[in-house]
Amino acid sequence: MFSILKQVQDYAKESWQAAKYIGQGLSVTFDHMQRRPITVQYPYEKLVPSERYRGRIHFEFDKCISCEVCVRVCPINLPVVDWEFDKQVKKKKLNHYSIDFGVCIFCGNCVEYCPTNCLSMTEEYELASYDRHELNYDNVALGRLPYKVTQDPMVTPLREFAYLPKGTNEPHGLPSGSQRAGKRPEEILKEIEAARPKPKEEVN
Amino acid sequence: MNSGIDLQGSFIQTLQDFGLPLGVAKAFWLPLPMLLMIIGATVGVLVVVWLERKISAAAQQRIGPEYAGPLGVLQPVADGIKLVFKEDVIPAKADPWLFTMGPVLVVVPVFLSYLIVPFGQNLIVTDLNVGIFLWIALSSIAPIGLLMAGYSSNNKYSLLGGLRAAAQSISYEIPLALSVLAIVMMSNSLSTIDIVEQQSGYGILGWNIWRQPVGFIIFWIAALAECERLPFDLPEAEEELVAGYQTEYSGMKFALFYLGSYVNLVLSALVFAVLYLGGWEFFIPLDKLADWIGIADTTPWLQVFTASLGIIMTLVKAYFLVFIAILLRWTVPRVRIDQLLDLGWKFMLPVSLANLLITAALKLAFPVAFGG
Repeated sequence: MFSILKQVQDYAKESWQAAKYIGQGLSVTFDHMQRRPITVQYPYEKLVPSERYRGRIHFEFDKCISCEVCVRVCPINLPVVDWEFDKQVKKKKLNHYSIDFGVCIFCGNCVEYCPTNCLSMTEEYELASYDRHELNYDNVALGRLPYKVTQDPMVTPLREFAYLPKGTNEPHGLPSGSQRAGKRPEEILKEIEAARPKPKEEVN
Repeated sequence: MNSGIDLQGSFIQTLQDFGLPLGVAKAFWLPLPMLLMIIGATVGVLVVVWLERKISAAAQQRIGPEYAGPLGVLQPVADGIKLVFKEDVIPAKADPWLFTMGPVLVVVPVFLSYLIVPFGQNLIVTDLNVGIFLWIALSSIAPIGLLMAGYSSNNKYSLLGGLRAAAQSISYEIPLALSVLAIVMMSNSLSTIDIVEQQSGYGILGWNIWRQPVGFIIFWIAALAECERLPFDLPEAEEELVAGYQTEYSGMKFALFYLGSYVNLVLSALVFAVLYLGGWEFFIPLDKLADWIGIADTTPWLQVFTASLGIIMTLVKAYFLVFIAILLRWTVPRVRIDQLLDLGWKFMLPVSLANLLITAALKLAFPVAFGG
């Protein structure tokens, strides 16, 4: 007799708890409705990529020594280095260089290991094309510099969250010259140099 | 008692004054409310689609449709026009007749149910004395259409979606009908007009929500399941079944399904407002207020005012419920099929039965408060 009553009581309690949790969830959803949108209206507004952004790779033809380190460090040996040995100057002569960005995973190993710094990462990320073969960039295409978001008159550049001043999370309508939270790299460098003891004169 | 505006009576009277016989005058009147109902339901859907997209966007901190018209209000119209101009594909080896009949069978009963939704004392297409029963009966035709659509598509996802839709509708129709039955028992009538009348007189305190708190929740859960709204949208669960019974549909036939689901949502919200939130009644009893100030019941401007307020109140209540449904969509995760049937048969059915019995007992014990 009492066990049935207890069962009913437990059942009622569980139903009440379920209702309570759904209510709590509803209040969370309702609270979100009065928050500002965090979206970026993409073709009209664009985020400024951070300085460590790994976008399309840039290549400087004249700096390359055809050492093929980029091919060796690449996870799938992607860069195609076409060179021939020039017997007169006893050096490798680079004919063609290409990277297929349809296959590249933008890990940045080639940029990291290039001995002559002829490879570098850009902030270009709009690589859409109608044919996947168009993503196979040759040395001319790799040598092009991307447009900067900040210089495009059609686009409102917006800062990423980490680059906003302290306490704000709204990139729209920032006052000009406002700086991100924390110290900038050059400030840190200046502080380190100021704190370092000045080199003493050599004592014999 | 017949307060408020009688549009039908005055329209027929006017035509008769022009010298038309009574039958012809009535024939002229007949298509008007039907047309108005179809237009009203379609516009209501456009509003709901826009609201759904905007509220969903707000709940997810997005902006939502913005460029089609001011604040994107024309977005549903644009969607509709796009669907009208799309190619009508019937998949290979599908049954063309059943495939075409499916969406029709889903949409037509939903539109028919608008017959019994009252917006005022005389602002209703037909005051049937089996009104609310008609709604329940018509809403059980839709799953046949869904099953037809799913079965005839020659697609396993469609078939599974159709079967799920049928199972879901059947298991949630019973608690829905039982909770409606409790209301009907309290108002001693199946007519939607009488159900609202029974709640009137005390303003917000007289609404059925206070006398039927359990029925109110049961009805809302069952109505969400009937409309296949998010916590119960298993028939079209895109992660499992692509789009359920709609998978093979495109163009106008898909638009019919889409329209039907939203019309059904608005309809459920309207019926809900009628059953539990006092229909067209204002928060305070207006006729008592008018009496107290000293304005006669038959004053023309007062009648126009109460009639328009009635329409606005019905819509406000219905759209408030639609808002709750949209909010629930982004709060509650989808239940599994076994949980769905568990909830329907093991929780909703006994609770709604108990609710019915308790209502009956209360009706016998306190006939004053529970419509003896």
